[in-house]
Amino acid sequence: MGDTLQALVLGLAFGWFLNKAGLTHYARIVNVYRFRDWTVMRFMLVALLVAGVLIQAGIDLGLSDPLPIPATFVVANLVGGIVFGVGMATAGYCPGTIVAEAGEGRLDAWVAGLFGLVFGAIVFGLMQPVIMPLLRQVGALGRITFAELAGASPWLVLLVFAQLVVLVLLLLARRGTADRGHEAGEPTRTAQ
Amino acid sequence: MFGRTSFLLLVVALWIQGAERTARAQCSSNASSCLGCHEVQRQRPVLELGAPWHRDHGFGDLCASCHGGVSDDTTLAGAHVGLRAPLAAPASTCGSCHQQDFDTRVAAYRGWTPPAPSVPVVPVEPSATPAASETRTVDLALALLSLVLAATIAIVVRRRRREAPGKRLTAWLRTALWSPYAAGAGLGIVVAISELVCGRPIAVSGAFDKLAAYPGRALFPDSQYYTHVISPGITWQVWLVVGLLAGSFLASRLAREARWRWLPDSQWVPRFGPSRARRLLLAFIGAGIAGGCTSGLAISGGAVLAPAAFLFMAGMFAGGIPTARLWYLGRRD
Repeated sequence: MGDTLQALVLGLAFGWFLNKAGLTHYARIVNVYRFRDWTVMRFMLVALLVAGVLIQAGIDLGLSDPLPIPATFVVANLVGGIVFGVGMATAGYCPGTIVAEAGEGRLDAWVAGLFGLVFGAIVFGLMQPVIMPLLRQVGALGRITFAELAGASPWLVLLVFAQLVVLVLLLLARRGTADRGHEAGEPTRTAQ
Repeated sequence: MFGRTSFLLLVVALWIQGAERTARAQCSSNASSCLGCHEVQRQRPVLELGAPWHRDHGFGDLCASCHGGVSDDTTLAGAHVGLRAPLAAPASTCGSCHQQDFDTRVAAYRGWTPPAPSVPVVPVEPSATPAASETRTVDLALALLSLVLAATIAIVVRRRRREAPGKRLTAWLRTALWSPYAAGAGLGIVVAISELVCGRPIAVSGAFDKLAAYPGRALFPDSQYYTHVISPGITWQVWLVVGLLAGSFLASRLAREARWRWLPDSQWVPRFGPSRARRLLLAFIGAGIAGGCTSGLAISGGAVLAPAAFLFMAGMFAGGIPTARLWYLGRRD
């Protein structure tokens, strides 16, 4: 029960922020790949940065021992990303924003998006026993972080990463957000 | 301001609840306790060592089928009761799944000897971190890089000298769009709480994997994936998705932007026309292909600075840029 409540509350906050960042729009997602809208990049980079610092602080405070570190399989991660990018640029969705769009009342997300996700998951499930062993043969590094890979201090890696993020964000700050995210004829309200 | 305060209180309450939790393995999980300790906590992990039997069976949570033991006990002693050597009596271990040909399969495994590990396995114990001198060289290089970056940032900031107009916070919750920086910071806090409190990534696609297992198992009862790897279930991740749906509804409702509609925003119609069927078809195909995990891998993995996340993001752009270019070939807008 407690677990379910946690999941619901975290999900609620997640949906709230996805919506407030304006990621529930086809154009916002697609224009990431057309270099016309930097909202998603700004949103994601800041999220990475804040979460990275908080998590590292949490580890140092002894709050968390078994951190969920994703396994690195160089080929599998890359191939998965490419396939994902193709789908994302076609539909203007990523899995999280499909649900967020559904919450906003978008019927294409309810009908095509949710069924598409389930259908894709089944197709993947049937292919998984064949393709995953192939993809995992090369570059299996295990559940590892950059700091462990390089044998460096995690805070220093985080610092350098944070500075890279800040630099990228600063350089992007001048680039306008081509604000086509909202319905035609609707005033665009951006809290900048 | 009530909304903000209560949200913060909730965050704090969640945090305290998590800190009090002693055994993190209690977070209801689908994985066996074998995977929890050996792989997730990396106490003597095996999957990355490359033994052929682990490689061949790593697609599922199958440890106990070969090794025995108690795969839902979370104590060291309890979980290891009834352990057996898998190749000692293969008829009862390997043969339980491969009835027909376990002899030939076992013969292939018997001839295998472990190579020298190519990738150093990094254990959790600080005693086994790389040699001090090596660490210092890397740290020194990173520190230098950090100095250079700090100087660059200082220069850029100085040039900008932006006078940011302070926004009144009165209509904050009802504002349709927040600064992506503010919203991103919020998501960062959510990810950190999720990872620290419950040891889970904020992942959406995993929930659909679990939901798809209901029809998947019914339609394809012989599938290896649906019999051994994924079981259907209403898991933590599914509740996360339910919350996500509600959160987005709440946010758009407060901003008076929640309403039923079929077509996306202004960019879709000029490009693809007003056809609903076309939108549904492309959305269905795209969503089917994009069943990956931006949130689970790119964001949650990126936050712990795992190479997997950044490889995935590189792939996203490698796939997304040419696709978007194709869809908008010869169009200025």
